[in-house]
Amino acid sequence: MNTPYLTFDRITKTFGDIEVVAPHFDLGIEKNDFVVFLGPSGCGKTTLMRMIGGLDTPSGGEIRLQGVPVGPPDWRRGMMFQSYSSFPWLTVAQNVEFGMRYRHDLTEEEKLARRDHYLDLVGLYEFSGAYPNRVSGGMRQRVAIARTLASGSDVLLMDEPFGALDAQRRETLQVELRNIQKRDAKTVVFVTHDVEEAVFLADRVIVFSKRPARVVADIDITARLGADRHLDLRDSVGFFELRNEILRLLRKSGAGHE
Amino acid sequence: MTNLAQAVSGMGQIEDKTEEPVRAKPSLSRFFVFRGLLARRAEIALGIGGSVGLLLLWEAAARLGWTNPVFFPAPSTVIAAMGRMIVNQSLLWHAGISTMRVWVAFLIAAAMAIPIGILMSSYRVIGAPLEPVIDFIRYLPVPALVPLSIIWFGVGESTKIYLLWLGTFFQLVLLVADDMRRVPQEYVEIASTLGAKPHQILKDVAFRAMLPGLVDNLRITLGWCWTYLIIAEIVAADSGIGFVIWTARRYMKTPEVMAGVVVIGIIGLVTDQILRAIHRRAFQYL
Repeated sequence: MNTPYLTFDRITKTFGDIEVVAPHFDLGIEKNDFVVFLGPSGCGKTTLMRMIGGLDTPSGGEIRLQGVPVGPPDWRRGMMFQSYSSFPWLTVAQNVEFGMRYRHDLTEEEKLARRDHYLDLVGLYEFSGAYPNRVSGGMRQRVAIARTLASGSDVLLMDEPFGALDAQRRETLQVELRNIQKRDAKTVVFVTHDVEEAVFLADRVIVFSKRPARVVADIDITARLGADRHLDLRDSVGFFELRNEILRLLRKSGAGHE
Repeated sequence: MTNLAQAVSGMGQIEDKTEEPVRAKPSLSRFFVFRGLLARRAEIALGIGGSVGLLLLWEAAARLGWTNPVFFPAPSTVIAAMGRMIVNQSLLWHAGISTMRVWVAFLIAAAMAIPIGILMSSYRVIGAPLEPVIDFIRYLPVPALVPLSIIWFGVGESTKIYLLWLGTFFQLVLLVADDMRRVPQEYVEIASTLGAKPHQILKDVAFRAMLPGLVDNLRITLGWCWTYLIIAEIVAADSGIGFVIWTARRYMKTPEVMAGVVVIGIIGLVTDQILRAIHRRAFQYL
């Protein structure tokens, strides 16, 4: 079997005396997979994702992307947050353009074309000239998605990006994100503590224990629900069963109570 | 509620509408909404009305002999004194000198405090040694340092600039460092995962993010500069508003003293409003 696209190889991580990740953490992620890290708040799943981006460094072990150990952050691994996701002093279009600001291999024309393409893709073209404070929270997250895609990242790292949105916007964005990820063939690592969001979005859900993070379960969602995700899927028996199964796992691993 | 009561109250409403247009109750409680908003026009009217009312009260108090005019002259007397001072004592020239001193010292302080403050919070290796020193000097009252600065710089222009700089730089540098510290880590991390180098993050993201707060702090610090200016001009000067005020005091010319104070107030108010307007225009995205 080939080595996966992205690998965690015997990772350890401590902050002072606190062990964030259980010793010798191993995990492989395949290219173009939508992987969701699911676990209780503060369990260390975010730290694991940040290490892929180079925003945190492992205390031991190595993370490799296509066999090469990851270094400091670069545009190949884009990051998206729940809050402060776009720059308030730039317009929507300028925010998307900012994604390519440090790409010196692209010409100005290419940058503008890419900007317009991704603005269109996330349905924000008509809001190009607006400042982020004038658009809704959902639109601001779309700006961040467009910016990350425009930058050309192969790996999208998303830290509860829809956590602050209302249920309806959240569902719409989940469908859009899933479609974009499949169409543009991106590898996504998405952190959340929302079980339904995890099941709906993921090809694969990794369920974590509470800190120090350890893999409790590794569930192939696509094998059970298929790759196509529509809003109706949420009402299906398969979805419901998976959700309950994962909730039980979380409870059993002690995530539900302290 | 019974049917009858509903019917009666319903009738009442109809009558109101037909006989006379519904008018807002002339109730004060409408204006006293806890944490409520006030119409823009009402804001302005109250703002002007408050000041005018106070002036009128003061004028009346002086004219009716409630206060001793030697100590508390009427506003009209103060304005008359101001007019005389502009004509005979080149008050505007003195005001100009003072304004220039404030701005020179302030610009020097800002030009030093902005880069140092930014570096202090960007690199702990710079912040850690400087913070205790700056914190110590910051708490020294400027007047206590007047004798020392006269020994060092004599009574010339540089003493005044030095004292003003002393009063503002050490405050400002910590405020700048704080502004930089408050820049959300998310902005920094977004930029770094887009391939920005540290100096690019500093210039393109962190500085832009801190700019509104920085401009606000500069505006506030500029106000402090005026406080120290008067101290400096009282101690060692033969020009400037502080000198004018202090000279007038020596001859018990209370209207002149007050006129000098009012000039400072006016300059302060105008500068502040201009800087606020610039802030609003420059940071429309806020």
